[in-house]
Amino acid sequence: MEIWFNYLNIALIFVVFALSLNLLLGYAGQVSVAHASFGAIGGYSMGYFAMVRHWNFVPGVLVGMLVSLIFGIAVALCALKLSVEYIILLTLAVASVILGVFSTFKQLGGSYGLIGIPVANLFGWKMENPRDWVVPLLVVAAIVYVFCWRIGESPFGRVLKGVREDDRATEALGKSVFRYKVLVFAISSMLAGLAGGLYSSYLHLATPGVFGFSISLAIFAMVIFGGMANLTGSVLGAIVVQGSQPLLERVVKLSPERAGFVRLALYGLLLLVLMRLRPQGVLPEGFSLWRRLRGGGNDRARIEMVKDAIPAVVSFQNIHEHEDEPSHDAQVAKEKAWGASALVLQVRGLTKHFGGIIAADDLTMDLHKGTITALVGPNGAGKTTVFNLLTGYIKPDAGSVQLNGVDLIGHSPHEVARRGMVRSFQDVRLFMRLSCLQNVAMAVQGQPGEHLVPLFFSPRSVDKAETATKEKALEWLRFVGMDQFADIPAGALSYGQSKLVALARVLATEADVLLLDEPASGIDTQWVEAMLALIESLRTQGRTICIVEHNLHVVGRLADHTYFMELGSITAQGTIEELTAAPRLAAAYFGT
Amino acid sequence: MYLATITFQQFTQLSANGVINGAAYGLLGVGFALILGVTGRFHFAFSFTYSLAAYFVFTLHNRGPHLNLWLALAVGLALITALGVGIERYVYQPLAVRAGATALLAVFVAALGIGIAGENLIRLFWGSSSQSITGLAQKPIHLFKNRAIFLNYDVYQVVSAAGLVMILAALLRFTPLGRAIKATRGNPEMAQIIGINPRIIYMVCFAIGTLFSGVAAFWYSIKFAVVPDMGLRPVIFAFVVAFLAGTARSPIRVFLIGIAVSLIEQWSSMVMSVRWTQTAVFVILVVYLISLSVDPKTLLARARGGLASAKA
Repeated sequence: MEIWFNYLNIALIFVVFALSLNLLLGYAGQVSVAHASFGAIGGYSMGYFAMVRHWNFVPGVLVGMLVSLIFGIAVALCALKLSVEYIILLTLAVASVILGVFSTFKQLGGSYGLIGIPVANLFGWKMENPRDWVVPLLVVAAIVYVFCWRIGESPFGRVLKGVREDDRATEALGKSVFRYKVLVFAISSMLAGLAGGLYSSYLHLATPGVFGFSISLAIFAMVIFGGMANLTGSVLGAIVVQGSQPLLERVVKLSPERAGFVRLALYGLLLLVLMRLRPQGVLPEGFSLWRRLRGGGNDRARIEMVKDAIPAVVSFQNIHEHEDEPSHDAQVAKEKAWGASALVLQVRGLTKHFGGIIAADDLTMDLHKGTITALVGPNGAGKTTVFNLLTGYIKPDAGSVQLNGVDLIGHSPHEVARRGMVRSFQDVRLFMRLSCLQNVAMAVQGQPGEHLVPLFFSPRSVDKAETATKEKALEWLRFVGMDQFADIPAGALSYGQSKLVALARVLATEADVLLLDEPASGIDTQWVEAMLALIESLRTQGRTICIVEHNLHVVGRLADHTYFMELGSITAQGTIEELTAAPRLAAAYFGT
Repeated sequence: MYLATITFQQFTQLSANGVINGAAYGLLGVGFALILGVTGRFHFAFSFTYSLAAYFVFTLHNRGPHLNLWLALAVGLALITALGVGIERYVYQPLAVRAGATALLAVFVAALGIGIAGENLIRLFWGSSSQSITGLAQKPIHLFKNRAIFLNYDVYQVVSAAGLVMILAALLRFTPLGRAIKATRGNPEMAQIIGINPRIIYMVCFAIGTLFSGVAAFWYSIKFAVVPDMGLRPVIFAFVVAFLAGTARSPIRVFLIGIAVSLIEQWSSMVMSVRWTQTAVFVILVVYLISLSVDPKTLLARARGGLASAKA
């Protein structure tokens, strides 16, 4: 019987490993192949304090968790700006360094490691046999599950998913990607340290082999097999991968060594088959057996039903009827009104060079409250670069950007967004695997659930705020006529639909200044009308808007004032009628 | 203090070892860089094809048909090259098409699966104990009045590795196929527009990269032993070399970086315990990656340099 308890205990320890990696890999999209090494930090720390300092195993494990957490933060800081392939390599290198360093210290047993770690003593109870470990490990695994669930399925977890899907777009919504990456690496490493400490204490050893690269790969496989961003999947993955060993030994009657090889070969092949047939894992993200049993809807059928549906704003034209371009007199009047409105954004002398290429040359422009300003010019003029400079994605070489009198130069994109200037992207950049509601909810500012302290210590206020956030997000979806799509993943939308959801997401930030990058490009006429009507209604609400647009009909219809850009410089301004009447500008724009 | 005790003879020997091991790291690095740089696939199963190449030669020469060593090598390399191409054609390509923007991760996971399954299937078929490829006479070579001693195998390894790298460099520079590979590496969509089939180019890259891994594995196994996990360490070094050199760089540069990494590994034993030398290489890599992370200009330059997200 003890042997079965042994299998169960090891599976439970790997449940903790897999849950912690899923938080990092599944939710935040940060690929780590060094997870067992973080476990090694926990295991070696516990072993050292137990063997050399004669500590009880509980404080030893806690110190191990702390050291792992610190290492996690260090790795996160190194990984911040790296792409996936570099993060894989970094974690591979970190794993080699950690185990290499441990193997060189005599105090840590050298290349043999720490062997003969004393029996764990839990408040006077000596845990000598596998059966003694079952209940404590079940409790730890349950606590870690709830802890990870609370993080993953909360506004905090929603931001992690945003980081996973598109960190630039997440930053544009006022979320500090830096903070979330560091926190998730730290938490994940700390939990791996916990698992490592328990594993070493249970096995009475901490050796390079126990936490070797193959163990990291096994944990990785458990998460992929179970399903990324599905915690129940990780539990299943750990149990299946670890549970196959006794099955092969006891049922198929293989020797322990051969069973080990067969098990590893099988799950390697399983990974391969899964990636081909079911890349989302056995239990995909968002899948809940409980919801299924209660008769939850068929997501695929719902997507099929609505994916070609016309949003309310288009089908009913409930904001404005189709409008023609304003007359000459009306354009002149709009231009005057633009100048008379309060100044919100003042840009002076903005300059940026990339080597010999001038991206922005001494740019000066203003945005006024409750007006629409357009930025037009030929391809390559630097219009989108201006948005990147204004919102902190690119640091200018010189110049100032003042929003309501506050200089924004040097601020990161999320700080700019929080101060009230938010941008959209030409290529939409929705979070494809998140529902439309989640996409928009992420943009709502001031959510207590995005912070760990209230998440765990003020759960009621967090839940209340989350309900309000979802209502607000639904309101904005309704505003753009997309509320019926709330539960649909953004990846299932047509291009026109996704542009409307992207607009709702920008609006949900409730920022005063909106920078819209080609809001009407690449979409059907019916969607263009809907989009223009919506933008006009935003002006009526008093929002300050700047659009980059190629379609001069759109500019003529919307813009109160237009800047003309060429080769990084603003060379003219006025109404679009005035600008297109100038032969040189027309030639520059149309290339004639 | 430690440095002062190192003699010139030891330095010469360490340098010779560095060049010999570095030739293998460099050859593997060139193969991996070609695959990653052109196809965007993080081919972790490279360690499996490396080990399997040695087992093929061992089986063909020492166990089954008892082929002549060089014939066994030729057949083994042909088999392993076909396997590399097959992995790309029947595993990675369909996955990448299906995964779209997340192709890099999907392919990495699949490669991991192949690597794990492959190593353990080797253990099941051939056993875990080490095997030897025999049949090549071993002769010591003395240089600089016995200040550096190595084997005839080492010379063959360095010469064959350098030769293959030179051939690849010439192929990339002077032939239409090479220009097609470089065009695909620069922009696969544009390459397709001008009549290049990126799928075929990807398979060619896998063929070359896998062939290189097979040659490196052969010399390793002739010198040491054939074991199921023999591929992991050299292939991790190959990753290090490829990333340090830049996956879009010329094969000669990658090869030289491989030798430099190996020299650092060897020379570091002059100033620190031998147990630390491997760690030193990874510490260098970590420092390099940190420098990438904190310097946006370098990051931008690397992004322009080639690899990456566009291909993912």
